[in-house]
Amino acid sequence: MRAPVRTRFVRLLAAMGLAGALLAPSLAVPARAADTKLVLRVGTTQDLDSINPYQTLLVVGYEVFQLTYNLLVDFGPNLEPVPGFADSWERSADGTSWKFHIRSGMKWSDGQPATAQDACFSWGLALAAIKDEANIGAGYLDPNLKDAGVTKVECPDDQTMIASTTDASDRIFQVYLPIIPKHIWGKMDYKAIGEAKFEAPLVGTGPYTLAEWKTSEYARFVRNPNYWGTQGAADEVVIQFFKTDDTMVQALKAGEIDYARSPNADQLKALQGQPNIRTVVGSANGWTQLAFNEYGASDGKTIKDGGPSTKALLDPAFRDALGYAIDKKLLVERVLGGYGDVGTTVVPPVLGQWHVEPDHPRTFDIALAKQKLDAAGYKLDASGARLDKEGKAISLRLYYPDTDSTYAKAAQFVKDWYGQLGIKVTAQQFDSATLGNIVLPPEAGAEYKANYDIELWGWAGNPDPNALLQIFRCDAIGSSSDSQYCNPEYDKLYDEQTNAKTAAERKTILAQMQNMIYDQAVYDILYYDANLVAYRTDRFAGWQNQPLANGTPLFTYGTLDYTLLTDATAVASPTPAASAASEASATAAPTPAPGTTGGTGDNTALMVGILAAVLVAAGVILAMIFRRRSGGGTGEEE
Amino acid sequence: MSGRYLARQSAQAIFTIVMIVLLNFLLFRMMPGSPDRVNPRNPNVTVEQREAAKARWGLDKPLVPDQLVAFVVATAQGDLGYSMKYQGQPVVEVIGDRFWPTILLIGLAELIAIFVGLTLGAWTGWRRGGLVDRVGNGLSLILYSMPYFVIGMPLIIIFAAGLGWFPTSGMLTAGATYSGPLDFLGDLLAHLALPLATISLGLIGGYSILMRSSITETRNEDYIATARAKGLPDGKILRSHAIPNALLPAVTLIAINLGYVVGGAITAEIVFNWPGLGTLTVDALNSRDYPVLQGIFLFLGVSVVLANFVADIVYGYLDPRVRR
Repeated sequence: MRAPVRTRFVRLLAAMGLAGALLAPSLAVPARAADTKLVLRVGTTQDLDSINPYQTLLVVGYEVFQLTYNLLVDFGPNLEPVPGFADSWERSADGTSWKFHIRSGMKWSDGQPATAQDACFSWGLALAAIKDEANIGAGYLDPNLKDAGVTKVECPDDQTMIASTTDASDRIFQVYLPIIPKHIWGKMDYKAIGEAKFEAPLVGTGPYTLAEWKTSEYARFVRNPNYWGTQGAADEVVIQFFKTDDTMVQALKAGEIDYARSPNADQLKALQGQPNIRTVVGSANGWTQLAFNEYGASDGKTIKDGGPSTKALLDPAFRDALGYAIDKKLLVERVLGGYGDVGTTVVPPVLGQWHVEPDHPRTFDIALAKQKLDAAGYKLDASGARLDKEGKAISLRLYYPDTDSTYAKAAQFVKDWYGQLGIKVTAQQFDSATLGNIVLPPEAGAEYKANYDIELWGWAGNPDPNALLQIFRCDAIGSSSDSQYCNPEYDKLYDEQTNAKTAAERKTILAQMQNMIYDQAVYDILYYDANLVAYRTDRFAGWQNQPLANGTPLFTYGTLDYTLLTDATAVASPTPAASAASEASATAAPTPAPGTTGGTGDNTALMVGILAAVLVAAGVILAMIFRRRSGGGTGEEE
Repeated sequence: MSGRYLARQSAQAIFTIVMIVLLNFLLFRMMPGSPDRVNPRNPNVTVEQREAAKARWGLDKPLVPDQLVAFVVATAQGDLGYSMKYQGQPVVEVIGDRFWPTILLIGLAELIAIFVGLTLGAWTGWRRGGLVDRVGNGLSLILYSMPYFVIGMPLIIIFAAGLGWFPTSGMLTAGATYSGPLDFLGDLLAHLALPLATISLGLIGGYSILMRSSITETRNEDYIATARAKGLPDGKILRSHAIPNALLPAVTLIAINLGYVVGGAITAEIVFNWPGLGTLTVDALNSRDYPVLQGIFLFLGVSVVLANFVADIVYGYLDPRVRR
């Protein structure tokens, strides 16, 4: 009786072995060496939300549309204006009108001619929205035209677009608005386009156009055959979305991706010195701040069951004193792992042209902070608690979002430092959507109460400082303002710098504004974050930072860096005879059958097939067990 | 089996599913946060626009009854709605895309774990106190107590990033085109190896420990003593008398676990970037994508109820006592 069971088992093992042997050869090629295309693989932990440029809220969404579409005027290595959809431009004598020359002979990726009509259509959409005091989609792109003071566009012929502006500034170069094809979207108005579902493949004039979007997996771009400029070495660009940065970093180490966006400080340190990997620490165009709730400081308004918990927050002297209790150097060291810069004014240093350091900087000095609080009338009581002018112990609610672990760390430091001043801090974490709603005042709707004292969060800006400066305007209360700060004098300066005739004049006003926000301690900017990036150098060369001095490659403004990439293997080994030969043969093979097995239909069928096979195998095993049971059982139980 | 037994079981199952539908709706809306896609931190968005965005998703109406009724009516018609995160992709499509990857990964892992785990458990239980037991049971306990990411990350570091035998993550090479089904299959299997190993290893412990205790109990039964007295060989007693009787508790565990297969293994899927239902659940939770969350949990709930229903029926078939 034992023998047959044994043999059956052996037979099963043999069958499994055979199956294993069949699978083995395919398992031996994990790297998919068969791909002859040169694919640039980019890793990010952001998950693309939309390929409609007017809908996306994420940096990765911007990358998708700027690879696919051109801006009218693109951004150069140092954010200077360079030709994009337009190849040249001239300004009218009075400076309020611009004539853009659209490059002749340009074509969309589908072969249709790309003309000034497309540019007029795209800018016209935004102008129509501005006229209605509305926005396209999520409302991030079209206000660019308003900020630039553009009032009208005309296209007298296919090669010319004329834009009129309210003033003689050159903010028109900052307009971050993709030119989309009129022959595809022309029948829709801005409302419909804002809501429209864009579908891959997209038609664009950019260096690579989106060919495929597999939600939460990857976005694949192919070379635009009709691109007007020099193209990068990559035949395709694949942006892969990772769930954790740990896995992304391992994929970079394994050579599966060429670029990893935003590994954390520890991971970046571990990657330094690895073979073929280079790390970059760039300055981010943004900061992390403590935003004090100053609701009612200018007009005495209060919120029932909401608003700041103490009037002390409305007092610039109180906020100023708090500023001396923050050791920003230590924060950069401990919270950012040393990657970042001490924060001061509201225009980040990466916008070097516009940034100024404060005239009256605060330094870390707890004793001085205490002294200033005492002097401003905030005394300690017998138990060591700091009292406000109403005689109530000051206890501040510090809220921060869960989007980044650095916020929680920074909050603990702040809690400790303020504690040393006799000010109790309750730190609490929220998901970003909730926090966004908590800080909104009734101006945004009756249900909002601005019920917080300090918000620890960050902002990221545009190449133009206006986006960040706007947050402090009176009319931002109810939308972007998280300090509820209102100062008509600031608003006046804002308008003046917007209409400044020269850059020097603008800079003077901007310096005034930066000092105003700093001196009144509207915000306490803790640090300017760093952009951390790691990339491989064994497949692609020519990585270039933007800005050159303190930026990073990719995920920047414009797509110049993609077009500068070269094939590292071609440069490094001039005569790779063997590999070239094998590559050549590999190229020849797949041509007859391009087999677009990429489609999901085939994959699903195959997976069902595999599953069915496994189920059948399991069934056979079970059947064997049961047969053995019934067959053997009766024999012995007699 | 009586018709009444079947009817009672079915009624129970249907009642449970209805409760799941209602709970799904309310639970997610009790979470703080909003699926409001319009970011309040966008400096350019007006109050009116945020209201309009809410209206688009029906979020401006009262939760009960308006939103609830609309949801129940739609669900009853098989309409699960549209994803808020992915700009209006139908939920059925979103879930459908993630269904097969999860079934493939978790289903295969369950099969391997059941087979290996039960065998290991039977063996260690039979040799209780011996070297096999100490090593086998110790190993089971270690694996049982390890979260998937603790098993998975070292596998990635060693076999993917280190030795380069397998890809680190994903189900297929992103954006690849294949020259044929074999090419595709090879790519899939290479990507499958590490996550499959991780989840199998993680599941083996549970099955093994259960089977071990179950076998240990049957060892002391009279019929085992009888078989021994008859002079049956040891292996024969294990296979023909101990295992079949010890399998009953395992059937319950298997049935319950199979119901959860569609839930995916969240931590494992995340570590390996596997495009399954587990990662979808996390994404949907993070973005408060109510329709997708409702869809997933409805699907998961129904699967668990069905698996238990089937287990009940099978039990009734195996053991006449429960049929009453």
